Amino acid sequence: MVYKITTNAMKQTIYLITVLLLGLSQTACTDKCTETRVFKRFTPVVFTANQLRQTIGTETVRPLQDPGKIYTKDGFLFINEIKQGIHVIDNRNPESPKVVSFIRIPGNGDMAVRNNILYADSYMDLVALDIRDVTNIRQIKRVTNVFPSGQFNGGSWFVNTATGDVHDQRVDYVKEEIQTNCEEDVAPNWWGGVFAFDSRSIQSAAPSASSGQQQVSSGTAGSMARFALYDNYLYTVNSSTLQLFDIQNPADPQTGNKIQLGWGIETIFPYGDKLFIGSQTGMHIYDNRNPQKPERLSVFEHARVCDPVVIHDNKAYVTLRSGNNCQGFLNQLEVVDISNLLSPKLIKAYPLRNPHGLGIDFPNLFICEGAYGLKTFDASDALNIDRNLLEHFDQFDAYDVIPLGKSLLLIGKDGFYQFDYSNPRKLRLMSKIPVQRPGAIS
Amino acid sequence: MNPVKLLLILCVQSIALPSEAQIRHRAMPFVNYTEVGGLFGRVVSGTQINEVVTNKTSLSVQTLCGVQITKRLAVGALVGIDWYKSALLMPVGGGVRFQLTQTSNRNASLFVSTDVGYALTWLHKSSTGYSITGGLMLNPGIGLRFGKPDKGGVLLTLGYKHQQAQAEKPLRWNEVSRSENRLYNRLSIRLGISI
Repeated sequence: MVYKITTNAMKQTIYLITVLLLGLSQTACTDKCTETRVFKRFTPVVFTANQLRQTIGTETVRPLQDPGKIYTKDGFLFINEIKQGIHVIDNRNPESPKVVSFIRIPGNGDMAVRNNILYADSYMDLVALDIRDVTNIRQIKRVTNVFPSGQFNGGSWFVNTATGDVHDQRVDYVKEEIQTNCEEDVAPNWWGGVFAFDSRSIQSAAPSASSGQQQVSSGTAGSMARFALYDNYLYTVNSSTLQLFDIQNPADPQTGNKIQLGWGIETIFPYGDKLFIGSQTGMHIYDNRNPQKPERLSVFEHARVCDPVVIHDNKAYVTLRSGNNCQGFLNQLEVVDISNLLSPKLIKAYPLRNPHGLGIDFPNLFICEGAYGLKTFDASDALNIDRNLLEHFDQFDAYDVIPLGKSLLLIGKDGFYQFDYSNPRKLRLMSKIPVQRPGAIS
Repeated sequence: MNPVKLLLILCVQSIALPSEAQIRHRAMPFVNYTEVGGLFGRVVSGTQINEVVTNKTSLSVQTLCGVQITKRLAVGALVGIDWYKSALLMPVGGGVRFQLTQTSNRNASLFVSTDVGYALTWLHKSSTGYSITGGLMLNPGIGLRFGKPDKGGVLLTLGYKHQQAQAEKPLRWNEVSRSENRLYNRLSIRLGISI
């Protein structure tokens, strides 16, 4: 059978298609690869010590804007508003938490509660607050000039010892789009902001533990905490030291021993009579049988990255992440055998996206992946955790978690979430307090 | 059944099983277009005051297995491999071949093609900290088929290939998130055979 060529119209069609394709090759055959990144921009600011010390007090409730760490005790929830203070929330009904007050504490990042006393950092000072009446919280003690420097959101601050002024950095989040060559990395675009100094820091939030003779009760903190309670002591870590406070009389904290830990210290997690301290180069294990003077047992070393740690039985779960001052390029979960505390051994490492805080309610392991959400794993088999991902929420930012047996407290840049994890394969959202941040990312 | 396996079975059947005579006498004979070629384009990167233009070339292989619906029209399922420098993508989808010209005496005929699909990343291995997901693929083109009708032929196709992909990248100092939206727009030139 024969199909003849064809009419003039057909010829024109062929010509048109050919011209179109050649035209596309000249004009539209260009790859377009757009890299979108969100990064922090730092702007220097200076405060006088008087400015900071005179503005502490209870204020009316305000929305979450830049939440940091979380702490819970006796049905009340404390959410740090980075460098601003602490939101106090009545969480006795997790389905409907109520914000009851805001404690203004300039330079606050961490907290811990013993009985009715809340301890919080305020730049260089430690303050003790009476929280019996959550609508009228009062400062009852201030221990001055105990923290020489610190870090919030990657921005560093330090005290000028000559003038007493605090030199800080305001942190803004900036969204930027860059055209790339689709195939290779583009060098970082320095914004000319002030780079962070080395990673000295003192922030806050706190785990809890109490050995108790008297009637003491402490709260529970997340894995990113820098404050911890044990026995009659409050333990605080900054970049290189463990600073103890004697709180035998909770209302009157006294400066205790200062223990040099080495460089890059980030988090502290008490477990039994041991202290597990996360640093940028490894996990330090301290024997705390003498709470007044913890003694180092061993250090489990790894590449230079940030690494909060949680413990269950004879296993430590450490997340390593890059970014910020952590440097390095590792993003992974490490499971470490600590049955011999003098010689911890890596069992296995699992790659992750950008892990931050984590929490374990064995066998459920919750890992915050920063901008990439929350992952729930079954950690029963330490050698196959990656094959036992139960659920991944990637619709919100996750910074730190506290598992409380049935409910999971989660804080992220988008807000505070409470999940029911009775079924760990399908977490049920019980409530959310959203962040209301005007122009969060420009 | 896995769609790729199904496609492979279909291809094997279309190539290996039927004889030429069988094809001729079937109402809707199997057809196979297998082509290999290059994807050619460029990319502009950098900032407005410091733009860098780079030429790009990638290997492209694809096979379409289907049926001849009419004398002019063939449709089928396709699978391919596009080897971009930092992404090895496997588009899976469907395609159409329409003969614009055909003679019984001549050895050459002209056809147009359109392929649509979604790229999978099963064959891709990312560097540490990177992850790639595929996306939409569009590939219109025009080609020449050398060979008698109802017999095997040689193909030369000129086309335009649009491929989407997403890349998650490891974070550097001070970054909160970093991802990349990739639109590959290439001129495709392929040589192949048809059965």
